[in-house]
Amino acid sequence: MRYWIRVYAAQLKLATAIMFQYRFSVLIWAIWGFVGPLLGLAIWSAATEAKGGSITSARGVTFSQADFAAYFLVFMIVSHLTMSWDAFEFAFRVRDGNLSPRLLKPVLPIHGDIANNFAFKIVTSTMLLPVWALLFYLLKPNIHFSIVNILIAIPAIFLAVLIRYLFQYCLAMFAFWTTRVEAINQLYFTVDGFLAGRIAPLALFPGWLGVIAYYSPFRSMATFPVEIILGRLPAEQFLTGFLYQIFWLGAGVGLFKLLWAGGMKQYSAVGA
Amino acid sequence: MSESPHIVVRDLRKVYKVHEREAGAAASLKSLFKRKYKEVEAVKGISFTIQPGEIVGFLGPNGAGKTTTLKMLSGLLYPTSGEAKVLGFTPWKREPAYLRQLSYVLGNRSQLAWDIPAMDSFIVNQAIYEIPERQFRETLDELVNLLDLEKLLKKPVRGLSLGERMKCELAASLLHRPNVLFLDEPTLGVDVTMQTRIRQFIAEHNQRYGATVILTSHYMADVTALCKRVLVIHHGSLLYDGDLNQLSERIAPFKQVRLDLETPMEASEFAKYGDVVQIEGAKVTLRFPREQTSQVVSRLLTELSVVDLTVEDPAIEEVIDLVFQKVQA
Repeated sequence: MRYWIRVYAAQLKLATAIMFQYRFSVLIWAIWGFVGPLLGLAIWSAATEAKGGSITSARGVTFSQADFAAYFLVFMIVSHLTMSWDAFEFAFRVRDGNLSPRLLKPVLPIHGDIANNFAFKIVTSTMLLPVWALLFYLLKPNIHFSIVNILIAIPAIFLAVLIRYLFQYCLAMFAFWTTRVEAINQLYFTVDGFLAGRIAPLALFPGWLGVIAYYSPFRSMATFPVEIILGRLPAEQFLTGFLYQIFWLGAGVGLFKLLWAGGMKQYSAVGA
Repeated sequence: MSESPHIVVRDLRKVYKVHEREAGAAASLKSLFKRKYKEVEAVKGISFTIQPGEIVGFLGPNGAGKTTTLKMLSGLLYPTSGEAKVLGFTPWKREPAYLRQLSYVLGNRSQLAWDIPAMDSFIVNQAIYEIPERQFRETLDELVNLLDLEKLLKKPVRGLSLGERMKCELAASLLHRPNVLFLDEPTLGVDVTMQTRIRQFIAEHNQRYGATVILTSHYMADVTALCKRVLVIHHGSLLYDGDLNQLSERIAPFKQVRLDLETPMEASEFAKYGDVVQIEGAKVTLRFPREQTSQVVSRLLTELSVVDLTVEDPAIEEVIDLVFQKVQA
């Protein structure tokens, strides 16, 4: 355990140093994360206004403008903390052979990549904290933070980060078999965004789509912690939410192991 | 009791399956439905053994199978068949205990983070290879002195020249004092002074820590300066495994003499002594069968007005070239 703490600490320092070299582009990437949720908020605010101040779903869930503001602001923060972009970089490494020097090290490349992802989150979240505070002040969301819920949301966010990261990494590993992994990734991003609730809260999804979204891994990657923070989830559903997260994390680890073993054989068969 | 070999290779073979198609849109469309593959045998069942602390030169033209062999021995490639044990490990199982004792310097690939000083990458290696602080400082000091790294460690890697970067790559690869070191073109694109420096450094490191080294290089000077033993590979087959000095005796059974004459002579006049390799005014280089050396030299000294005479083996580049020509024929 102490070994891994030292490895991760060293990798985190390295990744943070690299981030500071590219602070401007890192900030642009971070700001890009505002676009989706703010667009969603603008559309739903307009729709709410047209409907006379609130929208009620088929399942009887009601959202006012302030509820949408709360949802999209919390979603924006959780999305930022759980975002992952490794597919692009990984595919590039496989194609140009730069994966090879990483494979010669006695630790798997994924550890360095996770540290890199964490460094991005730490650096950019620090930069974005005042912006998030300003948005909360300006948009006046209907939210009453509960310390208990926030404490429960912390492990949920941590699990969500790992699940989203592992699924993204698994997708990236298709680069071992195809040179066009970006196209698959684009499709995945669209599905992820939709079923994770980037366009609309899952509570507003029509029946059958709501069921798919509820059981899909994407809810565990972002929506579940958002629901905890917003206080929209009954406490008795917390346990099931965590169980789903653990299930999807296990599935992600299993899939990673399977794809890594196969990918290594493929990579080393065609010429590393 | 003698130490067991560090590297044992038996009938190692690697066949690549390569996708093949003609140029043009029609061929591109056709390949969508029916793909044509060709099998390329990059390494054809080679065998050799390397003892602890040996520095072995791996020679061969481009595409001979040198890098493929090194990649199999470092665990980057699965072989198609055959066996290999390095430090008792099967390389392609990629066990961390094996990778901790290995370093593979790929001349055209970097393990250093590009945007920040090399020292930051060294610190990550310290954690990954669990190098104790004292050993890390000692080794780093040695490397800084031997490779003159002092000023380079604070510059971002992207701002270093090719030679400077290679020195940092070498340092990063040696911090954990590997028992086995694969050097693939370590002096590629580096100027002559830096080449000499790197050679001296490799020799010193090998003496100090007894690491087993396999070196591939297109510069014969690297090989002659560092390796007593060479493996010559061509079209995936091992053509020679033995002493570098004996290579010329075995493959090129001739000697050369360099003559400095008082007056220039026509090339045709040397035919009775041997083949003319080079003629430039009064300076001539002749080649003749090895067993005729004393006879030819004494005739040259008595029959011609010689100012200076040197007998030598043919240059190693020529010998290697001859090996490949023989195989081609």
